[in-house]
Amino acid sequence: MSTTAFAVPFKAEFDPNSQEFAISGVVRPRSADEIAATISMLKGAIEEVRGVLYVNVKRLVQMNNTAYHAFARVLLDACRTRSDIRFVVVTSSVVGWTERMFAHLNKIEPQVTVEVYDSKFYPGQSFVENTSFIPILRTQTKMTWRHERAILPRHGLRPGMTMADICCGIGDFAMLARKEFQPARIVALDHSKASLAYARDVASGFGVTDIEYTYGDASEMLLEDSQFDFVTCRHSLQIFNQPDVLLKELFRICKPGGRVYITNEKNSHCLGEPRAQSIQWTYNEVAKLFSHFEMDVELGPKSKRYLVDAGFDDIIVESFMVTNLDGDPHDFADIIAAWENVYAGEMAVKRGDPPEFIDRFRQGFRDHIFAALHPKGYAGWPIWAASGRKPL
Amino acid sequence: MHGAENQPTEAAFEPLLQFEMEMGAFLSDWNHCDQLSTFMARMISHNRTDPVRHSNFFSSALNELLEVSFRSGSPDGRIGCAVYRWGPTERVELTFPCPPGQRQFYREAVSKTRDGDAHARYLDSISTDLAPSREAVLLDLSINFDANVRLDESDPPSITLVVDLPLEGVVR
Ligand SMILES: C[S@@+](CC[C@H](N)C(=O)[O-])C[C@H]1O[C@@H](n2cnc3c(N)ncnc32)[C@H](O)[C@@H]1O
Repeated sequence: MSTTAFAVPFKAEFDPNSQEFAISGVVRPRSADEIAATISMLKGAIEEVRGVLYVNVKRLVQMNNTAYHAFARVLLDACRTRSDIRFVVVTSSVVGWTERMFAHLNKIEPQVTVEVYDSKFYPGQSFVENTSFIPILRTQTKMTWRHERAILPRHGLRPGMTMADICCGIGDFAMLARKEFQPARIVALDHSKASLAYARDVASGFGVTDIEYTYGDASEMLLEDSQFDFVTCRHSLQIFNQPDVLLKELFRICKPGGRVYITNEKNSHCLGEPRAQSIQWTYNEVAKLFSHFEMDVELGPKSKRYLVDAGFDDIIVESFMVTNLDGDPHDFADIIAAWENVYAGEMAVKRGDPPEFIDRFRQGFRDHIFAALHPKGYAGWPIWAASGRKPL
Repeated sequence: MHGAENQPTEAAFEPLLQFEMEMGAFLSDWNHCDQLSTFMARMISHNRTDPVRHSNFFSSALNELLEVSFRSGSPDGRIGCAVYRWGPTERVELTFPCPPGQRQFYREAVSKTRDGDAHARYLDSISTDLAPSREAVLLDLSINFDANVRLDESDPPSITLVVDLPLEGVVR
């Protein structure tokens, strides 16, 4: 077992602008006196706000009854003396007991309500979450793995490490990494219960029981600080509207001296021959389409900047190209066909694009497939793999 | 015994982990409750469907039990904690010295977790008590963690709280 520190201290903050009191971490005092300062901060917050106070417990990892009673006391007393104020306790769907515990307050004072915050993930979540996308994710990982199995050691992955794959999707990368690099421990987290169910199914089908698949929100994880030697997050920073928030969490759970490894695309650089122009036009449009939904699928070459800004050092960036020559060109073609369905068939429609646009948009994907299957053709999908070390 | 009808036989529970320590040593630091519950939770949860969240839930419940025994405060004797598993349920058996004068208190507190008005009592405790009583803590376990709580007094002067936690079903 790792020797992580046990008691993660807790943190409380009040933000008068958003009228939000947030408490996070592990709160297990022996008596209410130990948290007196936080209790008075809450009282002060109640004095200061107008109308509604949000009590954010989304990142509350643990809270014992002693602390719970002390906080409940303050809220309930305030309800009794102040009819002009409401409390909205914001819990997370990840930490199940907070929802249960705080819901009782509403039974006592209806002025207290509980909202389960379910991260809306990234704005384009529903497109990628579609279960019809699953076989494509598998094909994608199969094709990227040919490259990544050689790339990962250059970024420091060694057998016997503790590793985490954040935004693991259907878990196939975790399966491959487990087999190739025999980690001492591997946690794989995603916010899609459907993908996790699929991942667990596949694992148990192969008799694999040691991948810890867990439901969580990558932007605020239950995982403790400084736990992992190697943290991977593949093709996912690029679909968050705030990649820096996610990266901060990856940094947090990584051990000092450990590394965080990310992969991202630059979609406008997808290419093919013949029919290069049509292909290039379409992928330029892909990048614009994603940015309409607040996703930056051009993030790949910005990896270094993001890693530097997040506090990493010893940064390594490299790029590789998945191509139709990597194996069966039909695999490549299948990926592109799936992109066409989702990007042209769903996302462009959702954006309200006219049919003429969509036709031309589709044509580029078809030309990319044409290039992939052409006996003298070449089709490529470039990816940036980058990693940084969390300073000691 | 109440509620025993649907219980598996004792033998069905597979032992997972246990610890024992001198009560005096345990009582020397309040943080032992947090440390032991975090550690044990992590150890026993690794092969649950969602190990991270199972561990978080289990640690919550176990910590409350350890705090109960901490607050009972008898420095003589030993504290022992064993965790068993049967299907979706973990059983915690927490044994600690209990002065004769407190036994009746535990009997009542445990039996109240099965009363029809357990929920009302629990709400009442939240809305009126300044600090949670040990009784409220047991109510919390039965209400928020669907725990089934029993008391075993077969080995005086110690008592054993036997708590079944069907967390695998709760963590979804
Ligand atoms: C483009 S997929 C990448 C999946 C996988 N890493 C791969 O390479 O195939 C993005 C993944 O991020 C997950 N995701 C989205 N929002 C999340 C969040 N807030 N927390 C954790 N995972 C999230 C999605 O469910 C999806 O599985």
